[in-house]
Formats: sequence, structure tokens, C-alpha cells
Amino acid sequence: MQTDNQNKIAIELKQINKSYQKGSNNVVVHDNFNLSIAEGEFVALMGPSGLGKSTLLHLIGGLDLPTSGSVIIGAQRIDTLSEGKLSTWRAENIGFVFQSHHLLPVLTAQGNVELPLLLTPLDNKQRKQHASLALRLVGMEERAKHLPKELSGGQEQRVAIARAIVSDPKIILCDEPTGNLDRKTADEILSLLTTLNKDYGKTIVMVTHDLRASEYASRVINLEQYIDAGKQSQLSAVEG
Amino acid sequence: MNILQLVWVNSFRKKTRFSLTCLSVMIAFFLFSILAGINHALTSNVSSNNQYRLLTSHKISLARSLPLNYQQKISALAGVESVSYVSWFGGFFKDETNQLAVLAVDHNNYFEMFDEYNMPAGQLEQWKKTRTGLVIGQAIANKYGWKVGDRVPLSSSIWMNRDGVFTWQFTVAAIYQSEGGASDEKQMFFQHAYFDKGRAYARNMVSWLTPKVDEQADVDEVSQRIDKLFANSNGATRTTTEQVFIKERVQQFVDMAMVIKLVVIAVFFTLLLIVCNTMVQSNRERLNESAMMKALGFSSRFLIAQVYLESFFLLALGALLGCLSAQLCLVYVSHLFTDFLPGIAIDNVHYFDVIVLVFIAATLCSLLPALTLKRLTISNTLGAKA
Repeated sequence: MQTDNQNKIAIELKQINKSYQKGSNNVVVHDNFNLSIAEGEFVALMGPSGLGKSTLLHLIGGLDLPTSGSVIIGAQRIDTLSEGKLSTWRAENIGFVFQSHHLLPVLTAQGNVELPLLLTPLDNKQRKQHASLALRLVGMEERAKHLPKELSGGQEQRVAIARAIVSDPKIILCDEPTGNLDRKTADEILSLLTTLNKDYGKTIVMVTHDLRASEYASRVINLEQYIDAGKQSQLSAVEG
Repeated sequence: MNILQLVWVNSFRKKTRFSLTCLSVMIAFFLFSILAGINHALTSNVSSNNQYRLLTSHKISLARSLPLNYQQKISALAGVESVSYVSWFGGFFKDETNQLAVLAVDHNNYFEMFDEYNMPAGQLEQWKKTRTGLVIGQAIANKYGWKVGDRVPLSSSIWMNRDGVFTWQFTVAAIYQSEGGASDEKQMFFQHAYFDKGRAYARNMVSWLTPKVDEQADVDEVSQRIDKLFANSNGATRTTTEQVFIKERVQQFVDMAMVIKLVVIAVFFTLLLIVCNTMVQSNRERLNESAMMKALGFSSRFLIAQVYLESFFLLALGALLGCLSAQLCLVYVSHLFTDFLPGIAIDNVHYFDVIVLVFIAATLCSLLPALTLKRLTISNTLGAKA
């Protein structure tokens, strides 16, 4: 579970505490959590429900803020950025793939993939070219004119991946990307993610419950064991 | 793909809802525009009248006449430049359904005082020399095909002549055009002298007098002076400016307009609730997508702008259709009411009002969705439970 120190650190979570209020109770999701992921890694985050896997993914992607601690992506500490700057940073650096693809039903596959490029200085023609390229990369160029309702679950997820990579982010965060798919389609999607990781050098962090999915990752972090090990090492440090 | 295309496709996401809401907007703006058209007819004549011209009528009713010699008495007052007079003939051509606005006027100075009626100088002189001469508006000439020199019999529903009949003979002596356009070219004038000598009764009486005040004089003061002069006589007067007189005449319509205005305000308020509800509902249905867009890097400001443009598009389209249908309807209505209420039309100021209203309504309708989008947290909406 140690990061290859020779690689450059892409993601670093330092002493993360994350809790939220549920009624009158304060629910602690992460307590003094640390994690480092090197550039070009394909990390699978596993573990039972309720352990804070998705929360972790959201913290890395700047979708949520830690109660305390720091989130450093590349050289940028993101937990101190304003909402506006965080949005801009996210658009430039992170691609998201969710279990529910959340494609806009009124836009074609091409339109959905073009969407993040509205935030870039690219003109209309360039946006179309980039989107076509991303769709070709995920094998969906022939379905470019189709609406999401005309696509299968696997095809929708491919379009979502194309949308995640179209602005060429360094990091792709996937939250249960194969959760709604059958085995064969899930394997296709995971192969696609592996290609993006190996051939295009994308750092991928994937939350999954699927043991088969974890086989595609270069590193698997079982969050339950990871947290226990962390607590153990802290305890040893105090006792020592 | 750009923000406008995004607004376009999102607007038509639920076609039935969009069409019905747009129809509500259209009806509200249709009513508003119709009212504006009627208001225009009620107020346009008032504002264009000369502020130095007064109108002196009987204090009790306009139907009661005043002695003709009031002209000399009023003329003698300080601040009065000249005085003319008018009697209502109540005429029609052939059939009582062809009602005409026919006035017997002082041929010596009436058209000098009312210089908005334009006619060739030769024709005016000819009219002054012709005892039975008739000055008609261009619109009347066009309608009946009358030209200078034509002999025209006009009947009165009030005045019998000395021959014991109600039909009077006239000769068209002049045709005038008015700066106010066709709506003001529907009157007819003839010499009061001919009327006075010809009628069987009420000679040397007039319906009302029209004093003109010196531009240096105080109009209110002169008005009071005139009324004071006849205060204790049978013919007590009430003097107002011509503008006030016309305003009072149309007062019943203005009040009606006020009622309609209140109705339109109620309609607009309801409309605002309908559009607000539509926008809130539409926004709520898309919260996941909005959260996803935020995750992709779209700012709250972008999403709010999108909602604003959707509201604006819905309202602007409805307003455009409402105004266009009102415009078409008013063309028909103005034709129907051409004699009763001329000047029904929508002026440019109304379109400015519509544009301002659309902007305000779009802003109000976007407020709640904007607040929701501003408060939207991505992780809660997309569900970070694990």
C-alpha cells in the first residue's frame, strides 16, 4: 500500500477529518486520514458501504471540503480555494465518471461530450473536433448523434467517460463506474479505463465494490484495512 | 453547442408544459396590449390639444345652450385673445345609422383658432363666402366620394329648419386634412349664421364657446373670470381648458381602462406565479444534472444565467406572440370602432413597457431557482454516502 516514492505525487490527502451533522449527531466519516497517489496510478478504493469511499473521491475532486486537513492535487492545495476558483480548477484538472452517468437527456452524445468544453476558449469547430476525438477514443463516434435514451447502459457510460476525458484532465475519478452494468459491458468499460491509464498516462481513482474491477487497478486500497493500519501505525508512534 | 443552444433544448424539454405556460404569457400580454391600444385612443387626442384654448359651456349640462352674446362679453375680458363658438348639429346622412359629427361654427374666426385643420386658402375663403358651405374632412370625402362643389343633404336629429323639415341642404366648399390623421378627419363644419337663420327655434344660442387666452395670461385666472362674469345668471358657465374638457368626456372610458388595468395586474400576478412555478419545477427536475454540471466545472453563475435565459425566452416568446395577436386584433377592432373611438393603436412606448416587463418578470421568476442553484452542494445531490 505504499506509494512508489520515485513517482511524482498526484494526489495527497493530509490529516483529513471529515464529519457532518445528522440531526443532533455528529457523524465522523474520516478521522486523521492520509493518502498519497502517484501520477499515472490506477487506484481502486474498496471497502464496505459507509466507510467514506465516495466522500474521499469527492474530496479529491473538490466536490466537497474536509472539516480539517489539506487536499493537495499536483502542487495545488484545493481545499482553500473559493467556489469559483475551485470550479475552474475542476474543469481543467479533473474528469468525473459516476455510476449514474448523469448525461443531459436533451443533448446528443456529441453535445454531452462537448459540454465541458464550453468552459474552455475553444471555438465551436474546435469543440466539435475535440468531442469527436474523445468519442472515437471510447468507440462511440458512430453514435455521436444519438440521444442518451437511444443508447445502452454501457454506451451511456462510454459517453460519460468521453465527457470526462474531453478536456484532457490529468486525473479521472470514477464512482462505481460499472455498478449498473452487466459483466461483459463492465469489463469493456474497465478495459477502456486501463487504456486511458496505460496509454494516455491518466491517474485514475476508482471507487468500487466489484472485486473483478479491482483486478484492473495497479493498486487496490481496501479502506477498512487501510484505516485500521493507519490507526495502528499512529498508536505505535505514540507508544514508541 | 453554446449556452443559447443549451437554453433552447432545455426550454423544449417538456413541450406541453412549455407551450401551456407560453400560452398563459401570451394571453396576459395580449390583454395588456389591447388595453394599451384602447388607452391610446382615449388619451391621444387630449395631449395634442392647444393648452391656451378654453371651452365655456353651460354649468349644468353641455346639452343646455348659452346666449350668443356671451362672445362679446367674454372677448371684453382681460387676457382673452379671441372667442369663437360652436353648436352641435347632430347630423346624419340619409340614414340615422350614418351618424356624422357636424358642427355649426363661427365662420369668421373658427379655423383661425383651430389651425390644426389644413385646407387650401382658396377653399377656406370660398367656404366663408358660401352661406350653405360645408367643410368636410378628407376621410369623410373619401368615404362618401364627395368633392368640392357637391350638394349634400344632411339631416339633424335635433334641429328642424324653418321649412318644418329636419333635412338641411349644404354645398361642399372645402376639404381639410388633419395632422392627427384619418381619425381626426371625420368632422364637418358649416356656418353658424346659416344655422341660426335657418333653424325654427333657439336662435342666437350656441352649444359652447371657445375663448382663446393670451399666451402671457394665466389660463386658470381667465377661466375663473369668465365663470364669475355669468355666475348669477340663468346661463351660468363652466370654463375649462380644452384638454380638461376632453379628458372629462372620456373619463368614463378612462375609468373603464382603470378597471381593465387592475384586471391585467391581477392576470400578470397570476402569470408570474405560473411562470415561477414552471421554472422552479423545471429546475427541481434537473438538480442532478445541475450538480453534474457543477462537478464538470460550471459555476453557479453560469447555471443561474442559464435559468434566467430560459425564463426570459419563455416570457419573451409569449410576449411577442401576445403583442402580435393584439396588433392583428386591434386592426380589426379599430376598423369596427372607427367612428365611436378613433385612434385605437399600439404606440412604441407600449413595446418599451413590454420589454421592461419581460426583463423584470424573468428576473423575478429566476430568483427561487437561482437560490436553489447557489445552495446546491454537489456531493449531497450526487450522493456521497459510501
